[in-house]
Amino acid sequence: MTPPAPIVAFDKVTKTYPNGTMALSDATFEIRKGSIHAICGENGAGKSTLMKILFGLEPHSSGQVFLDGAAVDTTAPDFAGRNGIGMVHQHFSLVAPLTVLENIILGHEPRSGLLIDRHRAREQVVELSRRYDLDVSPDASIETLSVAAQQKVEILKALARETRLLILDEPTAVLSPPEIEELFVRLRALRDSGITILFISHKLHEVRALADVVTVLRAGRVVDTLPMSDVTDTEITRMVMGRDIGIVRRERGATGEPLLDVSGVSTNALDPADRLTDISLTIRANEIVGIAGVDGSGQRGLVSLLSGLMRPASGTVRFDGKNMARASTADWRKTGLAYLPADRFTQGGTPGLSLIDNAIAGTDGDRAVQSGPFLRRAAIRSRVSAMVREFDVRMRGIGERLDSLSGGNAQKLIAARELAGSPKLLIADQPTRGIDVASAAFLHSRIDAVARSGAAVLLVTADLDELLRLADRVLVLFNGRIVADLVNTAELTPAALGPYMLGLEQAA
Amino acid sequence: MMRSVLAGLAEFTLTALVIAVVILAVLVPVAMSQPDPGQVLGLFLLGPFGTMRHLGNVLELATPTMLTGLAATLIFRAGSFNLGVEGSFFLGGIAATAAALLLPLTGLVAAPTAILVGALVGSLACSVPGYLKVRFGASEMVNSLVLNFAFLYAGVFILNYYLRDPNAGALMSYRLPEDFTLDRLMAGTRLHTGVIVAFIACLIGGIWLYGTRGGLNLRIVGAGAGFAQHLGLNSGALVMRAQIIGGLVAGMAGAIEVLGLYNRFSWTGLPGHGWTGITIAILARENPFLVIPAALFLAYLQVGGDMLARNLAVPSEVVGLVTAAIMLVVTSAAIFRHPAFLRLIRDIKGQEQSA
Repeated sequence: MTPPAPIVAFDKVTKTYPNGTMALSDATFEIRKGSIHAICGENGAGKSTLMKILFGLEPHSSGQVFLDGAAVDTTAPDFAGRNGIGMVHQHFSLVAPLTVLENIILGHEPRSGLLIDRHRAREQVVELSRRYDLDVSPDASIETLSVAAQQKVEILKALARETRLLILDEPTAVLSPPEIEELFVRLRALRDSGITILFISHKLHEVRALADVVTVLRAGRVVDTLPMSDVTDTEITRMVMGRDIGIVRRERGATGEPLLDVSGVSTNALDPADRLTDISLTIRANEIVGIAGVDGSGQRGLVSLLSGLMRPASGTVRFDGKNMARASTADWRKTGLAYLPADRFTQGGTPGLSLIDNAIAGTDGDRAVQSGPFLRRAAIRSRVSAMVREFDVRMRGIGERLDSLSGGNAQKLIAARELAGSPKLLIADQPTRGIDVASAAFLHSRIDAVARSGAAVLLVTADLDELLRLADRVLVLFNGRIVADLVNTAELTPAALGPYMLGLEQAA
Repeated sequence: MMRSVLAGLAEFTLTALVIAVVILAVLVPVAMSQPDPGQVLGLFLLGPFGTMRHLGNVLELATPTMLTGLAATLIFRAGSFNLGVEGSFFLGGIAATAAALLLPLTGLVAAPTAILVGALVGSLACSVPGYLKVRFGASEMVNSLVLNFAFLYAGVFILNYYLRDPNAGALMSYRLPEDFTLDRLMAGTRLHTGVIVAFIACLIGGIWLYGTRGGLNLRIVGAGAGFAQHLGLNSGALVMRAQIIGGLVAGMAGAIEVLGLYNRFSWTGLPGHGWTGITIAILARENPFLVIPAALFLAYLQVGGDMLARNLAVPSEVVGLVTAAIMLVVTSAAIFRHPAFLRLIRDIKGQEQSA
């Protein structure tokens, strides 16, 4: 039997964003007709970019996309619709107040004259839902439906125009396990009816359960495309994570008293990124605890919990001997919290104000910079100048706006402010994401110095090299739970963390 | 502080250049329709500087709008698009009238007391929408717009049933006692001591915003709620404080306007100085120091236009058109860079999406 012809082929597709980020480089692989093809990779590996290019949402910078063997221009108007490509986005694109029927026909309504031919529209939708065995009631309004039912509508919408290729971007992120099971049954049925399915996921067991072929992306490059029958989970994990290139770990000293103690904490959040289930962790003085996990596994919830932005539904939180379960952000900061937020320009600082304003923000009541209600301008200028010098912030002047700085320099300024008051606890959330190597190295040395000076440090990062370089202990979050508590020894590698991050193993 | 003032001044100059182009584009056709085109341009552009009296008119017209501009500036700086300044101005005027007619005060304390009452009552129109926003997340823009009219008719009711002079022949209050009215500064104009208050208020506002901890925290909250939250600032209280202070200033403006210009209170509609104040705040890039030139500039346009209408056969509607075109260009340039305005658009979009 000859293998079926490819429906889509990518040939050296490269995408460079205007800010210089290379999201895809020389991606080359084929998707065979009538298969379920999975695309696997970490966040930022280029999965979504690839799909946006195929769906015609973004142009690629170079390379070719072939459809049925012919080179096509994916940026042509209505490219996807005319070529039978449907996409189910991770965040649904349904119009909530409208009905199921209206949502499905939106954009290609059958008409009689100027009006929508409602009768024919209904026939089409009923026929569609029968053909693909996706049962929905056409007149229900979207906002009354469960998430799983909304997803069915979204799939029907994607199938409505003689679709041959269906793209699903992380379709299971919003579903519960039985709903995922049902979705998979439907997707297999769709494949058997001749539709090619492109399935994007970073959950390995789902890829294993569903896909025929997998393409692994890492840092914008195609690592390999293999039939699932020829590859083991371990091999895929290794391809996703990359090889372990000698990591220089921080020298560990003796740890002190426990400073932060979280015990049995759960939160009632709807968003999985905020949801925590029975989390317990202790961080001692002089210790750096690293948090690993696929994005959205509860990291944001943990950071919010430890900075007073979110309260635990149950469990206890103690910091420096105080009960912090009901503490506000101001209480946390007063007790000795320093926090480098992941979002530097909306939380860590504010782009529209000057470096001076950003650097002294939050120092309310500090007599050195304030006398009565008035700010002491000269004292402030000399303090901020010293901060900028100590943290090597490259800038044109301390009166410039924060957004005149590069990401790395802005982060150094924010670090200078946060670390000024000898903190007892430092939370560093993606401290070096997207910033240059030199600034990153500088920030690493600062985080290390903070830990040496007797603080407890919580490092949340998606960069596993950074994690292994700095952390003394690594906790892995999956689905809001700590699934592994590992001492960072030379044996610990990114590949060894993979199975825990993907929810395949537990060691806690 | 100096730096931000200079940066603001540079933008201000750029805006002024744009305005000059618009003036030429709009005014030249109007001028061409007249027998002596040069006279039209000359009168409009130079007339306000012609005599001390006209210069006095400019200052007189800029007095209420400097204060309302300052009020709107402080409110917008907190990141809130509260348009209650107009209602505050009206309420301030009627409350000061009521105080003047009902309080048995004489001498030096009389006028300041009436202004204080006006400020306190006036701040209602700004603090109510502000509270609804902070407490319930209700759109401050919609609420303040609607409440402005509610306060207007409440004020007209009080005027009609409690303050009205039945012998005046029209709907207006009893004559304000002499001790409550403000002193005139220049013969031939209605320029009064309120103008000094307006200048000083703008300077104090600027020093507060850029030179104190409270001002810094206000700017932080206005620039981004996320950063304020990160720092543990009480955003709700800071936003609320800005609405109250803004309302006080706008109410004070209304009180000063009534006590400075009139013998009787006779507004039965919104006087419009609050709306002008909002324009000025946007034009001044929400910088209290720049509110002064912005208010003077708009007053200058207004006086020039009035002189055209009075002295030449240019219909006053055309003059209104000219000033409106200029204000449109000025505000449209500024408004789309306005953080609060952009945030408002984002909020509306966000609500549509989450609905």
